[in-house]
Amino acid sequence: MDANQYIALAAFLFGIGLVGVVVKRNMLVVFMCIELMLNAANLTFLAFARRAGNMNGHAIAFFVIAVAAAEAAVGLAIVIAVFRTRGTLNVDEVASLRN
Amino acid sequence: MIDRAEVWVFWVFAVPLIMASAGVVVARNPVNSAMSLVAAFFFLAGIYVLLTAHLLAFLQVLVYAGAIMVLFLFVIMLLTTGDQDFERTRLKVMQVAGAFGAAGVVAVVVLAVNRLGPMPMSAVPSNFGTVKAVGRLLYTQYLLPFEATSLLLLVAIVGAVVVAKQRI
Amino acid sequence: MEQLIGNNLASVAGFRPELVLTFGSIALLVLDLVLRRSRSRRALLAGAAVIVLGLAAVLLAAQSTASTPLFNGMIASDAFATFFKWIFLAAGFLTVLIVAQGDDYPSPRVGEFYGLLLAVVLGMFLMASATNLLTIYMSIELVSMVSYVLAGFRKSDRKAAEASLKYVIYGSVASGVMLFGMSYLYGLLGTFDVLAFAPKIAELSATTGAAGAATKLALVVAVVFVSSGVGYKIASVPWHMWCPDVYEGAPTPFTAFLSVGPKAAGFALALRFFLGSFAGPMGANGMAESIAGIPWPAVIGVLSAVTMTLGNLTAIAQTNLKRLLAYSSIAHAGYTLMGLATLSALGMQGVMIYMLIYLVMNLGAFLVVIVVAEATGSESIFDYSGLVHRHPLAAIAFGIFLFSLTGLPPFAGFTGKWYLFYAVIERASGPAGFWYGALAVVGALNTAVSLYYYARIIRAMFLEAPHVTDRVAPKLGYQLMLGAFSAAILVFGIWWAPIVEWSQRSMVMLRG
Repeated sequence: MDANQYIALAAFLFGIGLVGVVVKRNMLVVFMCIELMLNAANLTFLAFARRAGNMNGHAIAFFVIAVAAAEAAVGLAIVIAVFRTRGTLNVDEVASLRN
Repeated sequence: MIDRAEVWVFWVFAVPLIMASAGVVVARNPVNSAMSLVAAFFFLAGIYVLLTAHLLAFLQVLVYAGAIMVLFLFVIMLLTTGDQDFERTRLKVMQVAGAFGAAGVVAVVVLAVNRLGPMPMSAVPSNFGTVKAVGRLLYTQYLLPFEATSLLLLVAIVGAVVVAKQRI
Repeated sequence: MEQLIGNNLASVAGFRPELVLTFGSIALLVLDLVLRRSRSRRALLAGAAVIVLGLAAVLLAAQSTASTPLFNGMIASDAFATFFKWIFLAAGFLTVLIVAQGDDYPSPRVGEFYGLLLAVVLGMFLMASATNLLTIYMSIELVSMVSYVLAGFRKSDRKAAEASLKYVIYGSVASGVMLFGMSYLYGLLGTFDVLAFAPKIAELSATTGAAGAATKLALVVAVVFVSSGVGYKIASVPWHMWCPDVYEGAPTPFTAFLSVGPKAAGFALALRFFLGSFAGPMGANGMAESIAGIPWPAVIGVLSAVTMTLGNLTAIAQTNLKRLLAYSSIAHAGYTLMGLATLSALGMQGVMIYMLIYLVMNLGAFLVVIVVAEATGSESIFDYSGLVHRHPLAAIAFGIFLFSLTGLPPFAGFTGKWYLFYAVIERASGPAGFWYGALAVVGALNTAVSLYYYARIIRAMFLEAPHVTDRVAPKLGYQLMLGAFSAAILVFGIWWAPIVEWSQRSMVMLRG
């Protein structure tokens, strides 16, 4: 089986994540969609690693998982801080920084 | 014969994977989104096994589905107020345009990949993607990023506590 | 395998400043707990941070600037990286000095702030020296992750929390897009090593037919995706949306740091990436042509023109000084991109000189905003009217910084702009010269527009009567810093030879 199917699948995943980031209003779900994008990148890395027969793609996928964990921790902490001051999870309602 | 089996297994994982990912976006309730995402991570782990990325498949389930999503669910339980109607509000023009733009970019990528012609997989040694082989790579070639990650995790923990803790 | 381990061990010798920053960052986080009840906690913590930065500076000065790959090609140690490392150390040091005197970061939080700030400085060090896609990703994430936290440090403040939310969402999306682009680069080129890109890209661009066209398309998409990570760090269009909100909402000392440190790091990364992979070898005239049959200079040039125009035009309407300076910093990213667009030795030197001078003038401008905000509690331009009567030094220093940001002689900003424009005009006589000429004209027009809104502030400070009569009485330390910054701007506006020579010496970059 060729790598193309895997890569096309990853592109679809990435697209779903990107569309989700744009249309979703719940900031928690926005973060979930970002996780989808990272996973799409990981899948592409692994597919290309399998194609090229070198494991560098595995190494970066490993680091991406670690970074995603850190990003989730920081992002969710910030969501909690915003929720404390605003009482909302809607990204549209968090908009006092405008001229 | 084995190749046919691989195609079958691929589709068995890929179709539910796409459906579960779409579920993250379509669901109105964040808990449903989170559960869809967990399902998507499991199917993705299956695809990783097909790509002989055994360590990564393992980590995908353990760290992503196990740790990160539990964190998400905790925060959802902590913060959800029951009033989740805002997902019903109408999308703005900009958002629709953004969604179409994103879909367009993906279409371009898929087209380009298709035009590249078939990219056959190479034959890989039997230890490809195992814990030992990837671990050896991480501790030799990629030692510096590995250590940088440890610092990154430390500062992320400190930062998360500083931001989220009510009173220090 | 022994060879790889041996290389890692040997590389530690070229990695001493970074090690000091790493352990210093951890030590400050621990010290913060030890000094929990100490009365002179603020001073001690600031002193410790200064000592760490000083030690890193001493080790950096002692280090050889010969071009060597470190850690199996993960990063490079060369004169180019060292130049930027000095900028980052200076940015970190000055930020510590500002924070130590101000009250933007309350005393219980200040230890964590310094510890995390040192981690950002380390991340920027890695950004400037990264020669591998993995290191590029990790270093950008290290800088971003800590910046999200530091932007939202004042938790009680609604604005700060909001700024940090916007920052983390935009930042995560940008880094996700960058990562996706990297995955395609890896697939097309088969390696993470940026230094090995150029020959591979040249090879790929030689393929013809449908597959060749598709390869080029995939390559362009991949690079555009990767540059979203860099573009977001330097706040260039179309990745600038976070910038005004974050700059306004974050505590001002950190805003100042953000506008000079990570921006310079982003440019260092972009220079290494584009000159190392998408520019062919530099010719005898110090200019390179882009390879892969894709007009990268045109793409970057258009980006540069749009970025500076959008930044400047939006800045005109702003009344909040922090927001105005945010749009102005977008415009300055646009000017600096001109240097990148030339893909020439002179353009590279222009970027380096500009980032160095921009450090002083922009930090100075933000320092005045801090001084006035401490006296009046306001960042609105209306509270700057008659500032010269309320505190002459602050007003005069702000005038100097603003004129320098405009790029008028005899201020240092003129030197920086001169080199950027010179690089573009040098290109104007070569192929596609018309477009370089157009870029220079757009840059000149933008400078005129920026004079309009900078002059508005200057007019308010010097010609209008004060609306409020509160005395502005900055602390002595602030006054000294304002004086030193102004003096530096004036001196280097007239006697720029040392800066030019230093940047000239530092243009040596590790090549594949």
